[in-house]
Amino acid sequence: MKALLSIEGVTVRFGGVDALADVGFGVPRGALLGLIGPNGAGKTTMMRVITGMVRPQAGRLAIDGTEISRLPTHRRVRMGLGLSQQLVRPFAGMTAVENVALAAGHATTANPLAALVTISRAAERDRARTLLQLVGIADAADALPDKLPLGYLKRLEMARALALDPKVLLLDEPLAGLNSAEAPHLADTIADLNRQGTTVVLIEHNLIEVMRICRHLVVLDNGRKIGDGEPAVVMADPAVRAAYLGSQEERHAAA
Amino acid sequence: MYEISLLTVMSFSVIFALSLNLITGFCGQISLGHAAFYGIGAYSAALFTTGGGSFWLALPIAMAVAGFFGFIVGFASLRVRHDFLAITTMGVGFLFTGFVRQQEFLGGEEGIAGIPDPGIGQIPYMLLCAAFAAAVIAFSLYLKRSWMGHAFDAIATDEDTARTLGIDVARYKLTAFVFGTGLAGLAGALFAHYVKFVEVESFDFIESISVLAMVIVGGIGSIWGVVVAAAVLSVLPLLLQVFADYKLLIYGVLLFTVMYFAPGGVDSLMQTLWRRISGRQRRDKGQ
Amino acid sequence: MNYSDLLVQGLVEGCIYALIAVGLTLVYGLLRILHIAHAGIFTLGAYIGLLLTNETGSFAAAFVITVVVVGFFGMAFYRLFYEPLLDKPPHVALIASIGLFIAMEEIYRMVFGATSLSFLAPPLKDTVTVAGVRLEEGRVVVVVLAVVLIGGLAVLAGRTRIGIAWRATVSDAAMAESFGIDLARVRYVNFFVASAMAAAAGIMVALLLNQVIPTMGGVPAYKALAIIVLGGLGNVRGTLIAALALGVIESFGTIYLDRVLDRDAIAFAFLIAVLMIRPQGLFIRR
Ligand SMILES: Nc1ncnc2c1ncn2[C@@H]1O[C@H](COP(=O)(O)OP(=O)(O)OP(=O)(O)O)[C@@H](O)[C@H]1O
Ligand SMILES: [Mg+2]
Repeated sequence: MKALLSIEGVTVRFGGVDALADVGFGVPRGALLGLIGPNGAGKTTMMRVITGMVRPQAGRLAIDGTEISRLPTHRRVRMGLGLSQQLVRPFAGMTAVENVALAAGHATTANPLAALVTISRAAERDRARTLLQLVGIADAADALPDKLPLGYLKRLEMARALALDPKVLLLDEPLAGLNSAEAPHLADTIADLNRQGTTVVLIEHNLIEVMRICRHLVVLDNGRKIGDGEPAVVMADPAVRAAYLGSQEERHAAA
Repeated sequence: MYEISLLTVMSFSVIFALSLNLITGFCGQISLGHAAFYGIGAYSAALFTTGGGSFWLALPIAMAVAGFFGFIVGFASLRVRHDFLAITTMGVGFLFTGFVRQQEFLGGEEGIAGIPDPGIGQIPYMLLCAAFAAAVIAFSLYLKRSWMGHAFDAIATDEDTARTLGIDVARYKLTAFVFGTGLAGLAGALFAHYVKFVEVESFDFIESISVLAMVIVGGIGSIWGVVVAAAVLSVLPLLLQVFADYKLLIYGVLLFTVMYFAPGGVDSLMQTLWRRISGRQRRDKGQ
Repeated sequence: MNYSDLLVQGLVEGCIYALIAVGLTLVYGLLRILHIAHAGIFTLGAYIGLLLTNETGSFAAAFVITVVVVGFFGMAFYRLFYEPLLDKPPHVALIASIGLFIAMEEIYRMVFGATSLSFLAPPLKDTVTVAGVRLEEGRVVVVVLAVVLIGGLAVLAGRTRIGIAWRATVSDAAMAESFGIDLARVRYVNFFVASAMAAAAGIMVALLLNQVIPTMGGVPAYKALAIIVLGGLGNVRGTLIAALALGVIESFGTIYLDRVLDRDAIAFAFLIAVLMIRPQGLFIRR
């Protein structure tokens, strides 16, 4: 089967560090793919390569068979990528609903002339409220971002990505900052969206939720791909266990 | 009459300040050389009418020429950000004055004198300038509410994130530069046909800083704040001799104190004050 | 004028630019502030140096006192005006700095008058011949000063405790602080050095032109800004090279470019051309 998003041979070097070394995988249409790995594995870097925020030293990317490696970020987004970043970046001067509405107006903002002659934001605001409801933060619709806790901001970030009507939704740790009741709920929402047709790439440290909703896993460790396949099979692999257990132990030792 | 000249000066200053506000306030691109575009407008209009062209045609020509150069400088702004952009635009200002000084056809150091009167009388000219100022205020208000304003806002806050929402940052910045510099050109043309004499000193770095001061004091991005600041700061030197003598000192101190104590300018001061007053009233009623 | 004269004149100019620009780039490297008011400090150096020389009759004594006094002035300037703005968005300090600079020029005009001041007995006016080129002594002193002060700075940065602390702070302030480096002290030293060098440049320019006016800081200051961008904001070595290169380009440019562009605009033409090709400046910050 041909992948909706295909990634081949991506290499990214920061100074002397190989953040990604010759990593490739395909995201099939309709997939809910978990991209996991210990801290510093290169997951976020991969997201940034996909969206064009980091230029890789090598590698090819394609959406639906169309090469996008040379396109600037905004063009890739218009081709169907929606990114929710690990480090939240809400527009500080806009309320939650305005933040999402801006993304919901992507068809208008794509053309400056259209943007110049269009005033009404009613439809986009409605859509924004619906999305805020969907991710469970409708109560914060009119709040400014600096008043909101991290769990809210992460979901705001996700609502904004959803407002782009993406073919591929890229989520970088959307469950971070959510409590034990909110996390499964948002995970269910993600699974629902996927069932309704959105292809999802999910980076997440909450492995319980990842194992519950993902049907495909790609594992990175130290910039290398060490696993790619069905969750149960991948997690049974000794190399993956070692990478994870090693870092778990380190984490415990550090704590 | 005295009041007429005050209102005329006020009007083109408001246009000039709002034109910078569009670039720096709305779209977040700092410019330390905006007077160059005011100058380009003034010089091209002056050349055109001293050469026998009509005043009415000179206005769109001035806008087009200034907007064209604004487009080119906008291109430069795409390559550099923040501090680099500040110095690049400052450089554009120096390039303009440095170029004009050496050009005979622009009058060199002496400038261009004998710019013909638009021939409509003082009061109608004042009304014309005021009408243009009103139109530019209306345009600013409209722009701010439009989706373009929304996108500008995003770019001014965080252009990298704006890109992840599918916004073509480069095209928006160029648009802001073209609009802003074109309007500066209009202001320049109106200025040139008011004083009937242009020289390069009127468009130097100090002038760029003066107009920046109007925007800063008014509140970066605030329309009414900038209008008030431009209106007041432009006529004070005409009204008060002290202000004329110490204009630069006052501008300098204003720039510093606003940044130091109230980076939001007059606009945010007024809003704070308004909230205090309305808050107190509410409390008074509650008791 | 022949080519070697032009070259030497250009290098002398370049040394003056370097004395101003190195301080500016030091401030930028440390605080990420475009310290436009540096030009005001340069002018202050010129005024104090000239007045002290006329008062005492000794240029050398006046020079030393001025450089030290203005160095301390720079420290106070930082403490009063910049320190409170460090946490604000970057344009705040930039605009505040422009305001300060304009205000300083006006204060000089009020205190010292708008007309130019000059030396009663202009020192260092004899000519000497260096490598076949006849030069005013003052110009030789400029070159010697640039070499000594900037060379001394390099030694300071490489060999002394405060120099090492300074470099650590430039590369990562938070990290440096966690190693127990006193950031405030590093910043004070930085402003002292930068301001002292600007003062030295100011006096020498006053001497070469034999005049001091309130607005004399303007042009060299704006050029210094162009230079530090060309040098790769914060990169001292790049700044030095850019300063000398600009001096030489200008001195040849006055002959070949004069019809198109005013001498003082050459720096910016050069700057904009370079930025279009290399937005990060000629030299990447190390
Ligand atoms: N801009 C950058 N400059 C230098 N190094 C970077 C940069 N971004 C990431 N790195 C390095 O690249 C490696 C991969 O980082 P990345 O953020 O992609 O990891 P990650 O898998 O997302 O980790 P986490 O789970 O902690 O979010 C790390 O060693 C990181 O320090
Ligand atoms: Mg990450």
